[in-house]
Amino acid sequence: MDAGEAERFLFYEARLLDERRFREWMGLFAENGTYWVPAVPGQESPFDQASLFYDDRELMQTRIARLEHPRIHIQTPPSRTAHLIGNITLEDSVTLDEYAVASTVIMVEYRNEKQRIFAGRQHHRLRREGEGLKIVQKRVDLINCDAAFEAMAVPI
Amino acid sequence: MHNGSSDLTALIQPGRVHRRVYIDPEIFELEMERIFGRAWLFAGHTSQVPKPGDYITIELARQPVIMIRHSDNSIKLLFNRCSHRGARVAPLRSASAPRLVCCYHGWTYDSDGTLLNVPVPEGCAATFDKRQFGLSPLPRMGIYRGFVFTSLGQTGISFEDHIGPMKSSIDDLVDRAPDGELALDAGRHRYVFEGNWKLQVENVLDSYHVPFSHASTVNDKGVQFARREGDKAGAAVVDADKNRTAAPWKQRRSYVSGNGHGWTSNTLLDDGKRSSPAFDEYRRVLAQKIGAERARQILTPRLHNSLIYPNMSIMGLNIHVRVINPVAVDRTEVTIFPVRLVGAPAAMNFGNIRLLNVTHSAASFVQTDDLESFVRVQSGLRSQGGDWVDISRGLGEEEPDRELNATRELATHEMVVRAQYRAWLDYMRGTA
Ligand code: FES
Ligand SMILES: [Fe+2]
Repeated sequence: MDAGEAERFLFYEARLLDERRFREWMGLFAENGTYWVPAVPGQESPFDQASLFYDDRELMQTRIARLEHPRIHIQTPPSRTAHLIGNITLEDSVTLDEYAVASTVIMVEYRNEKQRIFAGRQHHRLRREGEGLKIVQKRVDLINCDAAFEAMAVPI
Repeated sequence: MHNGSSDLTALIQPGRVHRRVYIDPEIFELEMERIFGRAWLFAGHTSQVPKPGDYITIELARQPVIMIRHSDNSIKLLFNRCSHRGARVAPLRSASAPRLVCCYHGWTYDSDGTLLNVPVPEGCAATFDKRQFGLSPLPRMGIYRGFVFTSLGQTGISFEDHIGPMKSSIDDLVDRAPDGELALDAGRHRYVFEGNWKLQVENVLDSYHVPFSHASTVNDKGVQFARREGDKAGAAVVDADKNRTAAPWKQRRSYVSGNGHGWTSNTLLDDGKRSSPAFDEYRRVLAQKIGAERARQILTPRLHNSLIYPNMSIMGLNIHVRVINPVAVDRTEVTIFPVRLVGAPAAMNFGNIRLLNVTHSAASFVQTDDLESFVRVQSGLRSQGGDWVDISRGLGEEEPDRELNATRELATHEMVVRAQYRAWLDYMRGTA
C-alpha cells in the first residue's frame, strides 16, 4: 500500500459518513472489525475502561439500525457533518498482513441551530481483502475525549 | 422573591408542578442553598482513592471539593480552597499527592487538610496561628459500603435516616461482586445537557417514556437490544402491533420510601436462559465464593433503577452509578461510572463495560434520546402555552407495601415524581 491508496481510502470513508451512508460505512469494516473512540487520553484498552464508542460488528449493526430508524429523536432533525482528513502517515504495522495509517480528523457537526467541532488523531488498521481494504480497527483519539459531551449520535 | 414558604408551596400542587421550578434562575439559586446545600449528596466511592494521598476533585452545589485518602487510610472531604487567598489547591480531576501544595504562594497542606508549611514564615503576622488555617472539611460525611456521602449543612437529617431505606439498593449492587466490594476504577462517561437537573432525576425512575423515547432501540418484534452480558435480547417494551406499551412492561412497579428516594422493579428478562462464557464463569466464581443458593438469590434481579435523592442513581440492569450535577438552571452535567465487580472474571467486567458504552455514553443508543427529550422539555417550558407540568398519572392509586416498608405504584405512573416534589418542598421550606 502506498500513501495514495491510504489517502483515497480515508477520503472515501469520510465521504460515506458525511453523506450518511452508514450501512456502506459499516461495510468497510472487516468481520471482526472494531470502531473505537476512547474516553481517556491514551487509553490503553477498551476492555477495562469506559469508551465513548467501542463497537464490534454486533453493536455496530444495532447502531446503524437505530440511525436508520424513523423515530431516532436525537437525529430529528439529523446532523450534518463535514470531515476533514489530513496529516496522513503510514506507520509500522504490528502484523505483517495489516497496514497502519495515522491521520488527523476534524469533524464539524451542525444540528438544530448549533455547530460544534470534534478533532483528534485517528488510527486505522487496514487489511487487504479481495479487491479492497477492510478496517480491522478504527480508533479516534479526540483531543477532548474526557470532556462532558452533549449527546452524540453519528460516528466521527 | 420566591423564598417565602407560601410562594414555594403554591408551585407544587396535587398532580402538577409549576414550570418555574425548571426555568426560574432564582429558584435554582434557592435549590443550591436549600437542597444541595443541606441534603446528603453522593460525593464518590472509596475505591476512587485507593492509596493514601490519592485524591479526586468534584463539584458539589457548584463548590470545588477534594476527596482524599489520608495517611491513616481515612477518607477526607475538604473544600478545594486555599486558606490563604482562596486558590484551588488540588488542580487535577484525579491524582496522587501526599501533600497538597498551593500553586500561588506555596502553602502546603497534609492530606487531612492540616496546614504544614508557609513559605517565608518570619513574615507571618504575630497573631497568625497555623492551626486555624487548615483546609476546611465539609461539615458532615457518611460512608456505606464504600459509597461516600456528604452534607454541606451542619445539621439536618442524620446519614442513617437518609440512607437507611436505600441500603438495600446499594447492597443489591455490591453483593454481585464475588469479593463483596465494588471498584469505580473503570473510567467514566460524562454528558451535559441544556436542561434542568430535575429532568434527569425524574427520568431515572420513569418507565412511561421507554417505549416512545427509546423506540429506535426496539426491533420490529417490540424487543430492545440485549443490554446484559449473556442475554440474547432485551426487554419486550412494545406489543408486536407496535402501537401499545407491552403488557409485561406495564406491570412493572415503582416504589418510594420518603426523602425523595425511590426505585423501580426489575425489568423482565429471560433470566433462565442468560448464558455466555463470561457470564457462566462469573456465576461459577460467585457461587464458589458465597454458595450456590446465595448466588442464585443475588443473580435474581430485583431492581432496575434506584434513585438516592437528590444527586445519584444506581442501575441494576446495565450496572452503573450515576451522579447528577446541576450547573445552572438550564445546564446539568452527569457522570456515569461503570462498576467493576471485584473478584469477577475480567471478561464479565468487560461485558458490563462494553454494553454500558452503548446504553449510557454520550454517544450511546439509549441515553441520547433521553437527552433530546430533556432539551426539548427545557425549551418547551419557556413558552407561555401552559404554566403547569402534569405529573398526575396514578394519582390516588398509591398503595402501601408493608413488606418493603414503602409505597408502591405501577412504574408507568408518576408517583415517584410526586414523591420527589414532596421532598423538594420539604428541603425548600426548611422542614426536611
Ligand atoms: S493563595 Fe494559596 S498560597 Fe496564597
Ligand atoms: Fe430513558
